[in-house]
Amino acid sequence: MSFRQQVEIAGVTLRNPILTASGTFGFGKEYAQFYPLDRLGGICTKGLTLQPRLGNPMPRIAESYGGILNSVGLQNPGIEQYLRTDDLWLKEQDTVVVANIAGSTLEDYVAMGERINDSHADMVELNISCPNVKAGGMAFGVLPESVERVTRAVKDVCRKPIITKLSPNVSCIADNARAAEQGGADAVSLINTLAAMAVDVRTRRPVLANNHGGLSGPCVKPIALKMVWDCYNAVSVPIIGLGGITSYTDVLEFLICGATAVQIGTHNFTYPTAAADIARDLETYLRDSDTDIRDLIGSLILN
Amino acid sequence: MALKDYAAQVLSNRPVAQDIYEMTLRVPELPQIAGAQFVNILLPTREHVLRRPFCICDCDRDAETVTVCYAVVGAGTRILSEIPSGQTLRAMLPLGNGYAPAAGSRIALVGGGMGSAVLPAVARCNPQCAFDAWIGFSDASKVVLEERLRSLCDSVTVTTDNGSAGRRGFVTDALDEALSNARYDAVFACGPEIMYRSLAKVAARHGVPAYVSLEQRMGCGIGACLVCNCKVKRNGEQGYARVCKDGPVFALEEIVL
Repeated sequence: MSFRQQVEIAGVTLRNPILTASGTFGFGKEYAQFYPLDRLGGICTKGLTLQPRLGNPMPRIAESYGGILNSVGLQNPGIEQYLRTDDLWLKEQDTVVVANIAGSTLEDYVAMGERINDSHADMVELNISCPNVKAGGMAFGVLPESVERVTRAVKDVCRKPIITKLSPNVSCIADNARAAEQGGADAVSLINTLAAMAVDVRTRRPVLANNHGGLSGPCVKPIALKMVWDCYNAVSVPIIGLGGITSYTDVLEFLICGATAVQIGTHNFTYPTAAADIARDLETYLRDSDTDIRDLIGSLILN
Repeated sequence: MALKDYAAQVLSNRPVAQDIYEMTLRVPELPQIAGAQFVNILLPTREHVLRRPFCICDCDRDAETVTVCYAVVGAGTRILSEIPSGQTLRAMLPLGNGYAPAAGSRIALVGGGMGSAVLPAVARCNPQCAFDAWIGFSDASKVVLEERLRSLCDSVTVTTDNGSAGRRGFVTDALDEALSNARYDAVFACGPEIMYRSLAKVAARHGVPAYVSLEQRMGCGIGACLVCNCKVKRNGEQGYARVCKDGPVFALEEIVL
């Protein structure tokens, strides 16, 4: 009897490896109308900042073949509002809560890392890879030195396990994974969205008001898989894989390439019950094949 | 738990005017629907990962059906228009806040072009209110929903920009005239932003509260992804509201046009 679907990341046990990706799931309340969130391994919150942020002008979303572009720009009610209205509710949902935090300056990240100590979140995901904000965000996510610096700065003040979320819009993502590990990250998650553009041929203008945005959805999955594999071979901390997952077989691919857990993002928009359905299907697969999920992680056999 | 993603069967999907279609879906165990709520429909093509939001044009509790009325404006609606009867589509509904005026109210319904598609459901879902409707289109080839509204409203006035059907001129001008002669408790309108600008003046001139339904490109359709905002002013402060969850119906005076 070797069936097992639980995974552990930085001492936190997830009942299954399925999390929801930041920015696609709000603070969980909307999707809790469709299914109880305890069916998930965990949820990553909408990116939080010190002050409320209005985000970018509309339109903020465009569709492309097998994917979407977004340029929300980190609209959120701010950490204080989150602590008042969402933190306790999320704790009561009996699933692992990963608070996604972002900032414009190093000081912002440090202040957020301190303030999030007062939340019930189980882990913190450092958003240094958002392509949609002018200051900060991805500015910290490009060069390995700054990835290391911001990770260490937050790690120094934050008592919760830190997941550094990596951008694919870099020359070598494995270098950045190493830098995050060097800075003390307990895990890395990848990939955030790919910098992208969509054009309206009638107006000759970009569809997004922000001109460019981040691409996600099934079309990015092969890129994400390669990057997860590259990072798996570069670091020893756990990897949380994301990018275009739409089925339990997609999850298996990420696990085989070295992910310990995965996040479901864009697919929540296509099917509101997607994350719970994938968790159910994965469980069925693992049970029927009597598989211990840990035996899958990084089991890729190269040709 | 209150929301569901339904497997809805297409009962009919037919053209009713030039490039305009009506699709009726059978939704098993159809939930209670409020006027001006919407349905988020998944296209059967896998490359389209975003659903398409459509206002619910009409519904029938007994037959467990909802009808949407849509114009073919892009690739998505083109695909939708080619779906045969019998096919099953994923449909999330009912979404949005909806519009439910107080019982006994007399309401002026105003539609601009395809915005008219939301009006029948508003009348259908509020049988304890009285309705008159004004619907405006660019020309006679685009006129839809007149008959459906006639069965639900005390009167229906059609306008076209070029006078090829009904009265010539803008629908808001016809409304302006009517408001001079009769009292309404509120105006409910759906149409393009330019119509709302005119409506704001008309409603203010006659001292009638106006409510409008907005549209915006959407992601999740349930308030989680924050892509479909509109600008609103509340308590003297400007901010964003989510069209899908806080709307699509807003008081016209709170919207920043």
